Amino acid sequence: MKLNLAEKVLAYAALLLAAVLLAGPLAILFFSSLKTPAEIQSNPHALLPQIWRWENYGDAVTAMPFFLYLRNTLLICLGSVIGTVISCSMAAYAFSKLQWPGRNLLFGVLIGTMLLPWHVTMIPRFLLLREVGLYNTLGALIVPTFLGDAFSIFLLRQFFRTIPEDLSEAARIDGLGEWGIFWRIILPLSKPAVATVALFQFIAAWNDFSGPLLLLSDKRNFPLAYGLEQFVSSYSDQTHLLLAAATLFTLPIVILFFLTQRTFLKGIATTGLK
Amino acid sequence: MSSTRNRIAGYAFASPWLGGLVLLYLFPFAASLYWSFCRYDLINPPQWIGGENYTRLADEIATGTGFGQALANTAYYAAVGVPLSILLGITLAVLLSLPVRGQAIFRTLFFLPSVIPVVAASILWMWLLDPKEGIVNYGLASIGLGTPGWLQSSGDMFSTFWRTGTFAPGSKDALVLMSLWGVGNFMVIYLAALGDVPKSLYEAAQLDGAGAMRRFLHITLPMLTPIIFFNLVMGLIQSVQAFTQIYIVSEGRGSPAGSTMMISLQLFLSAFQHLDMGYASAVAWLLFVLLLVATLLLFRTSRRWVYYGG
Repeated sequence: MKLNLAEKVLAYAALLLAAVLLAGPLAILFFSSLKTPAEIQSNPHALLPQIWRWENYGDAVTAMPFFLYLRNTLLICLGSVIGTVISCSMAAYAFSKLQWPGRNLLFGVLIGTMLLPWHVTMIPRFLLLREVGLYNTLGALIVPTFLGDAFSIFLLRQFFRTIPEDLSEAARIDGLGEWGIFWRIILPLSKPAVATVALFQFIAAWNDFSGPLLLLSDKRNFPLAYGLEQFVSSYSDQTHLLLAAATLFTLPIVILFFLTQRTFLKGIATTGLK
Repeated sequence: MSSTRNRIAGYAFASPWLGGLVLLYLFPFAASLYWSFCRYDLINPPQWIGGENYTRLADEIATGTGFGQALANTAYYAAVGVPLSILLGITLAVLLSLPVRGQAIFRTLFFLPSVIPVVAASILWMWLLDPKEGIVNYGLASIGLGTPGWLQSSGDMFSTFWRTGTFAPGSKDALVLMSLWGVGNFMVIYLAALGDVPKSLYEAAQLDGAGAMRRFLHITLPMLTPIIFFNLVMGLIQSVQAFTQIYIVSEGRGSPAGSTMMISLQLFLSAFQHLDMGYASAVAWLLFVLLLVATLLLFRTSRRWVYYGG
């Protein structure tokens, strides 16, 4: 299909309009985070700052325990990525490469848990985590990821299924056990899928707000997402600091997205379609 | 021999998830069902009170207070937001599949808002939608659409228009707008589906003299119906589950005037502010049943309009 000139102009106009409406707010966020407090008040609608005040970032970082929050966020991200990758790849192996009674039924249950609203399990989960002494520790946000999550298991299973059974058979004849096949053959062949799951979990943990809200009470344990929300209530009249803090919190995710874009978009299309 | 080994290995590999299924799903599922028939304040042990929590819910639905108000707000959020997300998702995907240069850049720009952390996005939109200083109202005023109250107004767009004939989006409309900003996930799925539509169908239709609009309505749209259905179901579930942005823009109170008090927030406050775990569990279970019924109804109607020919 080819477009004629008029159609092309129309297409570009629509694409540009959509780009401005969707990406515009991010540009506004970034440039406004560099304005002086006075300029934010007097001239909030100009895109570019008259004076680029990079000190806003320094001020935002010192206005809250930024690096403590960042450390907590990174610990939660790291721990939950490890937990998710281990537990989910193991379960995905069981659901794709092994035959065992109840497998299909349990796979149905797995899909069912994806559709279950969190409301139904929230209160007992909270009490359970409190009972085992994890309340108000970073562990409350990490330990549950070692018990698998349906979305990641599903994504990995879809990938494992595409690996030819002959490879496993050959390894079995060579005397490799199931763990050996999983660890030395399936996992190394599944690096793209494992990377996708790790990426999604990292971003989910970075962004998570309701988990910390529910399970953490001590400021020393707050991750950035929660610390930032606390910051909003105490600095609501200092828009330049709020925008600078929000930018600092967002920037790593935007950079990560640019670096991993293909993995990212493919992962979404896979779980939605197949 | 190898099959027994396979069997044991199956359970062994699935065991972390099976443990999670019991601890994080089955136990909580049963416990919250039981507690929904109890009075439970975390300090004293749960005390059986029969269906009292549920009769209270029925009262609140009848009077439009408490859960009734939350249900109405959530229903509005889903009923306005989900159809718009379908419309916008398809429109953006179609734009991105037009044969012009630079599509990779546009795709990135369109998707970018979807990766922005909800906390940061909420802070940004609270500022952009500020009735006096916000750039959105600045833009609206310059084209003669006034300066609506957005997050600071408890009214909603449709009932205000019905009563006064003016365009004045309120707090829930602002939340819908914020959710539409993150439509990229669905857009990517539509885009992938558009790529799967056989080119020969379009070529044949073009030879038969079908214009762009007819090709869209009779080829593209039917091929997209499975994704529209997926979007409908997931969009409904996501609207009901939305919490973070609502909590942040309403300072955890559902303000202004309870207009953003949605089921998630009401449940959270009942449980962790009023320590009314029994009532909160009943809210959760009623919500679960309502959602299940709605999903099943959607599945039933899907036979009539979803095309699984491909």
